[in-house]
Amino acid sequence: MGAASRPTSGGCSGYPAIDSINRVPSVLAAFLALAATTVAAANDGLASMRAAGVMRWGCDISGGAPFAFPDPSDPDRVIGFEVEIAEDLARRLGVRAERYSADWLALIDGLEAQRCDLLINGFEVTADRARVVAFSSPYFRYAQQLVVRAEDRDRFTSLAALAGSPIAVLNGSASIESLRTAGVPRSLIVEYDDSLAPFTETLLGRVDACLQESFIARFFAGHDERLALVEQTFDPGEYGVVVRKSDGTLLAEVNAALSAMRADGTLGRILQRWGLWNDAQRELGTERGPEVAAIPEAIGTPPADGLPWSLILWSLARAAAMTALLTVVSMPIATFAGLWLAIAILHGPKPLSRLCHGYVLVTRGTPLLVQIFLLYYSLPALGTWLGVPELLTWNKVVVGIVCLAANYAAYEAEIHRAALQAIPRSQWDAAGALGFTPRQTLRFIVIPQSWRLSLPAIINDLNSLIKDSSLVSMIGVQELLAVALGIGKASFAVPSMLVAAAAFYLVLSLLADWFGHSLERRARAVQALPEPIPR
Amino acid sequence: MSTPALEARQLRKHWPQSGQVLDGCTVRVERRTVHALIGASGSGKSTLLRCLGLLERPDAGSILFEGVTAADGPVVSNDPRVRRCVGMVFQEPNLFPHLTALGNVWLAPHRVLGLDPGEARERARMTLDRVHALHLADRRPDELSGGERQRVAIARALAMEPTVLLCDEPTSALDPMLTREVMAVLRELALDAGTNMVVVTHDMDFVAAAADSVDFLHAGRIRVSGSTDVLGTRGLDAELDRFLQRS
Ligand SMILES: Nc1ncnc2c1ncn2[C@@H]1O[C@H](COP(=O)(O)OP(=O)(O)OP(=O)(O)O)[C@@H](O)[C@H]1O
Ligand SMILES: [Mg+2]
Repeated sequence: MGAASRPTSGGCSGYPAIDSINRVPSVLAAFLALAATTVAAANDGLASMRAAGVMRWGCDISGGAPFAFPDPSDPDRVIGFEVEIAEDLARRLGVRAERYSADWLALIDGLEAQRCDLLINGFEVTADRARVVAFSSPYFRYAQQLVVRAEDRDRFTSLAALAGSPIAVLNGSASIESLRTAGVPRSLIVEYDDSLAPFTETLLGRVDACLQESFIARFFAGHDERLALVEQTFDPGEYGVVVRKSDGTLLAEVNAALSAMRADGTLGRILQRWGLWNDAQRELGTERGPEVAAIPEAIGTPPADGLPWSLILWSLARAAAMTALLTVVSMPIATFAGLWLAIAILHGPKPLSRLCHGYVLVTRGTPLLVQIFLLYYSLPALGTWLGVPELLTWNKVVVGIVCLAANYAAYEAEIHRAALQAIPRSQWDAAGALGFTPRQTLRFIVIPQSWRLSLPAIINDLNSLIKDSSLVSMIGVQELLAVALGIGKASFAVPSMLVAAAAFYLVLSLLADWFGHSLERRARAVQALPEPIPR
Repeated sequence: MSTPALEARQLRKHWPQSGQVLDGCTVRVERRTVHALIGASGSGKSTLLRCLGLLERPDAGSILFEGVTAADGPVVSNDPRVRRCVGMVFQEPNLFPHLTALGNVWLAPHRVLGLDPGEARERARMTLDRVHALHLADRRPDELSGGERQRVAIARALAMEPTVLLCDEPTSALDPMLTREVMAVLRELALDAGTNMVVVTHDMDFVAAAADSVDFLHAGRIRVSGSTDVLGTRGLDAELDRFLQRS
């Protein structure tokens, strides 16, 4: 995957340090390609889609407007021009549209792992990508557009006029290629991780202009009179629906439906509603149809009557419940699995001990994110290979929980190991002299004591798990951070949403501490004997 | 001659770091006797006792409880019926800190012997009473004095009703006052019929008053073995004379 794989749409993919994430799919590429071919050979996309009566279309709802994003006035609803295209497409194919969400960077892998049938999410038709997946005929044509400060409106009227000035772009976006092709030196291209940053940097004067796809420029800068859009656009490109290469029949049906959509004015109407219509669309054969006014959401302004806080808090509360669920289920599993690993390492037969030690080393030595991707995309292949295709149906919450539990088990194992080793040898002697077997000694004498020692460190890890659980948003689990970012971007309120999310995290963390302390109190108390059986 | 309560034949044990610690020890504890094990520091008394308690694998030799083999060379029996023939009281009480005094005594009868909780509780209370520690039943180990802890440890071992109770200097960590307290308990137990004991001790008064027989260990070998009268006789063994002179 090259630079072209970055979401220009993503315009709004808001994860920091995205560069490292970007590499994940390529690291796994060979493995996943194998996974994909195994699975793809087994199914025909169109047939299974028809059989299920559902078209699962993939998108990243934290990618921001106007693609597919949480409605600022009702964050539970996902809206956007691609949502409308997907729904119309499904209707024409005679099935129901069902959204599949994942991080933008993970969508193609998700498609190949059969987690969805097709992708509609600002995928530019590029030669690089066309080697991996198949594209439908395009549904939208964009071009690159410069944004400058309003006072420079008359000075910088073209890219040529900006010669020698630094220009901001979104990290890894197609805009970089455009600038490079136009001969702008690398040193003048300034990349930012956040979609809003190029605009704010332009405003602050650190750069003289920023470049992005035209409608994103309009969406983010159109309502701000301190910024001006440079009229002349350049370097056009197109978005297409993405399907698996093996799904030739599905591709043909999608193309037929898109042609009809273009010809009967449906697509034209959708683009007009979202303020995306321009004459360039005609070049794709898209009919404008009767004139329709743009809906308010299409004009990127913050909601006039303030943010709908009660709805937003409700959404965040439910996302926090997802975060809590991930934590509450995975931490006990991690704790017990970790204890088991520690016992196996310390007391197991040599091969088992080595194996478990190796597991701990590998798990602690590799990023959780890689593990999540690996498990999520390899399960379907594994399922087919083992002849249990049900593995396919493991949903992402389950995958997320398994990953978090498996990862944290390695850390908990080390905590338990240290605590078990801290129990003096003399306790084992005393137990041995009383006739306890090693197993009984562990269970009744050593673990009750080591548990007291390990508990504070485990509660500490519980706290960090609450926050680490946000990583499973990469496979589309709508947990707290992902939802907060999604709403924030759609409502131009990222900072306040992050503060709100932080508040929820804090509450969860305090709850965890409170729970931890009550556990510690109980662990410190002497164990009561069962009451004598009344006679 | 009846089968002895405990018999160890030609026990050998070496540690890589410290060489041959037991160099062919033969010990015979008759039924209903208190057997004392004396010797200088480092002579191998604890090692011998740990082998007898099946906590250590001897390199060679055998151990029999009432004629039943418990260890044959490094092969130590896993049979719980065999293992529960011995109980041990260590230099340190090694009580389980997460349980009360009663819980310490209760745990093994319940979990190892499989008595139901109420029955085990009754037995634990009776045993604590025997060592005059019933009033301490609900205390945690860290709420007990050293002597009280050691009494609870004795009760914990006794509650398993072992054929032989092995005591490794049970009073060496205690001051003279407490020593007397614990020794009084042990003496009482010793006089109580049916208890076989092996006691490692430096307390010659205790040996004289409560022991029936004694082994003198020196450099991993048993140099003198016999009734407690040997302690009053000089000239039997030069090492023993030297040892008695010092203590
Ligand atoms: N686990 C061990 N590893 C190596 N050497 C050991 C070990 N335990 C004991 N020894 C060595 O074996 C020898 C006998 O030790 P042991 O504890 O049996 O002596 P002891 O007669 O009980 O002495 P004390 O009266 O001081 O308790 C000593 O030299 C000691 O260093
Ligand atoms: Mg000793």
